[in-house]
Amino acid sequence: MKRTLAILLANPLSLLGVVLVSVVILSAVFADFIAPFPEHSGAVVDFANFNKPPEWPYIFGTDLVGRDMFSRILYAYRISLILGIVVLAIAVPIGVTIGLVAGYLGGWTEYLLMRLTDVFLSVPPLVLAMSIMGVLQPTLANGMLAVTAMWWPWYTRLVYNITRGEKEEGYVLAAEVIGASKAHIIFREILPNCVPAIITKMTLDMGFVILIASSLSFLGLGVQPPTPDLGSMVADGAKYLPDSWWLTIFPGLAILIAVFGFNLIGDALRDILGAEQ
Amino acid sequence: MSTPTLDIRNLTLGFKGYTGFTEVLHGISLSVEPGERVALVGESGSGKSVTARIVLGLLQELRTARIGGSVLFEGRELDGLNKRERHALRGKAMSMIFQDPTSSLNPVFRISDQFHDVLRRADPRITRDAALERAAAILAEVSVRDAERVLNAFPFQLSGGLNQRVMIAMALANEPALLIADEPGTALDVTVQAQTLQLMRKLVEEHHTAVLFISHNLGVVREFADRVYVIYKGRIVEQGPTRAVFEGPRHPYTRALMAAVPRLTGGGIPDIDEDSPDFGAPLETHDAEGRA
Amino acid sequence: MTAPILELDAVSKTFGTGADAVHAAQSISFAVNRGECLAIVGESGSGKSTVANMILGIYPPSSGEIRLNGTALPASRKLEHRRAIQLVQQNPLSSLNPKRSIGASLRLALDVHDIGASAERANLVGALLEEVGLPADFARRSPTALSGGQRQRVAIARALACQSEIVVLDEPTSALDVLVQARVLKLLNQLRETRDLTFVFITHDLSVVRNIATRIAVFEKGRMVELGDTETLFANPAHPYTRRLISAVPVVTLEEAALRSSLAAGLEETTE
Repeated sequence: MKRTLAILLANPLSLLGVVLVSVVILSAVFADFIAPFPEHSGAVVDFANFNKPPEWPYIFGTDLVGRDMFSRILYAYRISLILGIVVLAIAVPIGVTIGLVAGYLGGWTEYLLMRLTDVFLSVPPLVLAMSIMGVLQPTLANGMLAVTAMWWPWYTRLVYNITRGEKEEGYVLAAEVIGASKAHIIFREILPNCVPAIITKMTLDMGFVILIASSLSFLGLGVQPPTPDLGSMVADGAKYLPDSWWLTIFPGLAILIAVFGFNLIGDALRDILGAEQ
Repeated sequence: MSTPTLDIRNLTLGFKGYTGFTEVLHGISLSVEPGERVALVGESGSGKSVTARIVLGLLQELRTARIGGSVLFEGRELDGLNKRERHALRGKAMSMIFQDPTSSLNPVFRISDQFHDVLRRADPRITRDAALERAAAILAEVSVRDAERVLNAFPFQLSGGLNQRVMIAMALANEPALLIADEPGTALDVTVQAQTLQLMRKLVEEHHTAVLFISHNLGVVREFADRVYVIYKGRIVEQGPTRAVFEGPRHPYTRALMAAVPRLTGGGIPDIDEDSPDFGAPLETHDAEGRA
Repeated sequence: MTAPILELDAVSKTFGTGADAVHAAQSISFAVNRGECLAIVGESGSGKSTVANMILGIYPPSSGEIRLNGTALPASRKLEHRRAIQLVQQNPLSSLNPKRSIGASLRLALDVHDIGASAERANLVGALLEEVGLPADFARRSPTALSGGQRQRVAIARALACQSEIVVLDEPTSALDVLVQARVLKLLNQLRETRDLTFVFITHDLSVVRNIATRIAVFEKGRMVELGDTETLFANPAHPYTRRLISAVPVVTLEEAALRSSLAAGLEETTE
C-alpha cells in the first residue's frame, strides 16, 4: 500500500492524476467553504448579474439567471462524486459476487449467470439507462439505478475471467483437499486475488460514471434543475456558444479534469498492481 | 591460438528498480573456443540465464539494465554493434534453444514457414523449395524420419520431443558459430530428454558448432559439456574440464552441489547446508590436466 | 501383520467417452503399508497424477475401489477422509495463496477440522512452522517474501496441520534447487518417522526415489508395469521400461554411470 502510493507520486503522470483527483475531491467536500456564493447551488435568481463573463467576484462568470458558475461547479462535483460512489458501491459487490460464483462453480450456474450478464452487456449502456429513465421518473435516484444496472456486468466479466485462472492455482486445490467450504474458497481465497484488478477498474470507472451521468443529464434525463450538474450545465450553455462561452467551457473543463484525473490514477494502478502479480 | 568464438570478460550486470540498484553479475569471465561445448551451471538466481541473454543482446535494450565489462563474439565487441547488427547476428551466426520447445515455436505458423523464415535470415533470397529441401536434410540429421509430415504440421500437433528436435534443427540450420542452449529439454520427460541431448551432441560435433550450455542439472552437464563453469550468486566459483571438475571438485560450493545430488546408486539423502559462508571462497581453476 | 492403510483395488479412470475416451489409469491395484514411502514413478501420460488425484478424492475412479484402513472411500469425500489424506504439491509458488499470510494458510486446516481450541490455534501454527524448521514468526509473513524451499516447508506444515495419516507428495522437490531439495527430502524422511506418516511419492526422478522410497511402482501409459521394493527394483529391474527409465537418468558419478550402462545393456536402441 505504502509502496503503491510512493510509486504513484514518483511518476509525473500519475502524480498529475493524484493532484487532479485531489482537487475534485477537496472541491466537493469543502464546497460550502470554498464557494463564494453557496446559495447559488439552488434556485436563486439575480438578474442584476446575469450572463456575465469571468470577472471578479465571478471568476467563471455567471449563468443566465445570474448564478455564480464557479460555485455551481463545486456543488456539481459533489453530486457527481456521490453518484459515482453510490453506483460503484452497489454495482461492484453485485458484479463481483456473480463473477466469483460463476467462475468458481462452473457448470449450469456459470452458464445461467454468464448468459444473464451477456444480456445486460449486449444493450448499449446509454440506451439501457435512457429506457430505464424513460419508464421511471428522471430523478437522481433513478439515475443511479439506471447507471448501476448497466455497470455491474463489467465487474462480473472482469472477476469471472480472473477466477477462471485462479481456480487452477495450487492454493485453491490445497484448500479443496483440506476440505474448506466453497464460500471460504470463493471469498477468502480467490477474492483477495481479484482485489487489485477491482480497485484499478473502480478508479477508472469513477471517471466514466461521472461522464455517463453527465451524458444523461445532457440529454435531460439525469439530475433535475435546480440541482447543479456538470452535464446539464454544458447542455444549457451549448445553445449560447460561442458568445457566452464560459457557460460551456468551464463545466466541460470540470468534467475533463475529473475523468482525466481518475483515468491517470487508474492507468498507473493497473501497471503497479498488475506487475505485483 | 585461434580467436575464441565467445569471450566474456569481467561482465557485470545490475538492475535499477524502485528499491534501488541490485547487482546480479559481479564480474563474470568465460570463453568458448570454436567447436567447444561449454556449460554454465548454477542454481536459480545464480545469474546463468541473464548471462545468456546478454550474449544474445536481449538485455542491452532494457532501460533498467546496467551492463559492464565486455562480450566479444568472434573477436568483435558486441557493445560496439548497433541494434540492427545485433539483431542480424541472432539466428545467423548465433542461435538459441530454449527450455520449452513447444512455446518457443510460433503456434500459428507451420513448421515449414518457420524454417523458411529462419533460413531467410542467412540468405534473404532463398526460395521456398530450396528452404524446404534444406529443412528436410537437417531434420533427417536429428532423426526426424517423416520430414514432410513434420514440416506440414503446426507445433501443437507434434510431441514435445519432436518439437525440441525441430528447434535444434532450426537452431543449426544456418550453421551458426555459436549455439546458446538454455536448459534444453528440462520440460521433457527423462527418456526423451536423454535422446534429445544425444542428438544435439552428435549434431554440434558434426557441424563443429560451439555451444554455451546453460543448466542447473549437473548430470546433464556432465554428459554434454567439455568444460564447465560453476556460477554462484553472480560469480564464477570453479572452472575446468568436465571430468576434472566432476571427479575432483575443489570449491566448497561445487562440492556441496555435487554431494547434494541424490545418487542412482543409493546412499540416502546427504546432510548438506543450503548456504554456507564457505561458498564465498575465491575461484578455483582446473587446468587441462585437471591439476591446480 | 497389520492391514494396509491404503488399498487400490482394480482402480480405473477414463476421461471422455466413445472414440475420444482417454484411459488414464487402467485397473491399478496396490496396497500401501502404514509408515512406508511408496513411490509412483512414470513420465507424462503414465497415469501417476491421475492415480494421485483419485487417492486425494479430487475425482472418483470410473471403476474399482479405494480403501482407507479397510473401508471403501465414497465418491464424494467426507471431512474425516479429507483429513486423513493430505497433499504437498510440486509448485510452491502457486500452492500458497499470495494474498494470505502463511499463518492464515496454515490456520485454515486447523479451523476446517476443528483442531485445538481456537485460542490455541495461533500457537499450533507456530509449532507447525518450527516442526518444519521455520521460525514461528513466519506466520505473519506473506508467501511472496519466502524462498522456494521455505514455501515448500510451509506446504509440508499445512499437510501436517490436519494430523493426516497419508501424505501424497506430488513432485515435491522438482521445482527446487538441488541444495534445497536435499534439505527438504531430509525433512520429509524425518517427519515420516516422528509422525508415523505414510507417503505416496509421485515423481519422475529416479535418483530421488532411490534414496527415499521403500517401494516403487513404475507406471507407463496408464498401467502399472512393475512394483517392488527399492533395492530389488534397482538391482534387478524386471520390466524393460523400468530399465529404460533408469538408464536415461543423467548422473554425476562414475559408479552411477556404470550401474546405468549395465542396465542399458540388452536394451534395444529405441527412439520415439
